[in-house]
Amino acid sequence: MIASALIVAHAGHWLAGLLYLAPVLIVVGALVFQSWKDRRLGEDEDGPEPDGDTHRAST
Amino acid sequence: MTPKRRRALSALCAVGLALSAPATASAHGLVGKQDLPIPRWLFAWAAAVVLVASFVGLAVLWATPRLQEVAERRRLDVPRVLEVLSGTVGVAFFAYCIYAGFAGTQAATANLLPTVIFVFFWVVVPFAGVVFGDVFRAVNPWLAIGKATGWLVKRTGAAGADGAEPLAYPTWLGRWPAAIGILIFAWVELVYADRDDPSQLATMALAYTAVQLIGMSLYGVAQWSTRGDAFGVYFGLFARISPLHWRDRALFTRPLLGGAPRLTPVPGTVALLCIMIGTTSFDGFSQGKTWSSIVPHLQDFFGSLGFNAEHALEWAGTVGIVVMCCFIGLLYRLGVMGMHTVGRRLSTRALSGAFVHTLIPIAFAYVLAHYFSLVAYNGQSILPLLSDPLGNGKDYFGWSDVTINYTWISATGIWYVQVGALVLGHVAGLALAHDRALALFERARDATRSQYWMLAVMVAFTSLGLWLLSAAAQQ
Repeated sequence: MIASALIVAHAGHWLAGLLYLAPVLIVVGALVFQSWKDRRLGEDEDGPEPDGDTHRAST
Repeated sequence: MTPKRRRALSALCAVGLALSAPATASAHGLVGKQDLPIPRWLFAWAAAVVLVASFVGLAVLWATPRLQEVAERRRLDVPRVLEVLSGTVGVAFFAYCIYAGFAGTQAATANLLPTVIFVFFWVVVPFAGVVFGDVFRAVNPWLAIGKATGWLVKRTGAAGADGAEPLAYPTWLGRWPAAIGILIFAWVELVYADRDDPSQLATMALAYTAVQLIGMSLYGVAQWSTRGDAFGVYFGLFARISPLHWRDRALFTRPLLGGAPRLTPVPGTVALLCIMIGTTSFDGFSQGKTWSSIVPHLQDFFGSLGFNAEHALEWAGTVGIVVMCCFIGLLYRLGVMGMHTVGRRLSTRALSGAFVHTLIPIAFAYVLAHYFSLVAYNGQSILPLLSDPLGNGKDYFGWSDVTINYTWISATGIWYVQVGALVLGHVAGLALAHDRALALFERARDATRSQYWMLAVMVAFTSLGLWLLSAAAQQ
């Protein structure tokens, strides 16, 4: 209740900030789409996964 | 909804919620009227475009790891006497500052101690570290005292015939003492009501000294100073991106950023870097209109629990600083979780440690952007303060009449420095992450795919930083 009242009362402050949020949303949206596309392409091209660990380095 | 989609959606919502948090001001920086050709929010868009272009450039032009094992060239040797001398200077200056804190005037602006701590120690030393390497280590008073004590004990045989070997430093402790130390210092700087009281600051500096001496006596000077000395660790992290490396009583040169990939991700390292970025962010956030409008509600809440107004305000600030640090940690965690979806061969824990060094240039960019104006203007007050350190009317060097020159750089110039620092810092973070991904992932395509998520994190950090700064400019 208090939280929602705060959000509405101070909307003027954070609404202007949405302009700064836009590039983040665009990049995240594009990357989600791209990674989905890449994964589909990868599944088509790679075939079955090879056996064993293929890391070059470990942490 | 599949787990992957659920994760992507939750990541999106978290970033959205995070950035819909209100804009703020830069804490200590002074901001004048800026004359900008485009709206401030457009700088955030331009910065995002630069980051995406850098990401594409890295993917196309940077095909093999270049920073994982860099060669260092020995440039000059440092005589032992210089090491002793610099340590002595560090201890003497530290002792004098403590003396000034107790014996000098208790007016914060007239006493040397607050300006030395909050402007020079906290801000100028990191700047110097990035340019000249870890110079703080040379003048670190706690390290110098520890080394001198160790030498004395060895010389006099006070430790006994078989010597007293230090305890093994616990692996689980890692950099946690440093993380907690930096959080406490930031809390004092941003939240504590008596933060400007010189005698209180001097007392806290002595308490920190006592903790350092205990830590060094338990775990040895070398081990404690590289893990538990909060400021030694903090300044040392920034110095890792410097092209200069001081070690083994010699100066080495290396490629810019070349020291960062060597960071060992011991426990507490991720927390330390998130605290470094989070506290700087809160410094800006706490000066903004939104925090000012929220804090009375928090103050009322803590007041209703029985705290007086001052303590209720401190509790509100404590909540704010912790939430901001957690938020930064959440952003980084989202990037790591995204990377984990590529190949799924490395755990999120391993990836979190493997990429934590990419946060170092971002932490520095935040410090530079938020505090540049503080150093540019308030830093000049060190001259009259050195001339009259106790604030009792003395004028040892004839600088007591020196006044701050506010015209040497304009408010617009400061804004461009801040934007440039944020963009360059995040591009550096991207480059480090790309280089590490090339070393970790078998295929270059997987390395690039894994970095989509780090790109999103970097864009989010950049937008957040510009958001904080732009709100300050609008105050």
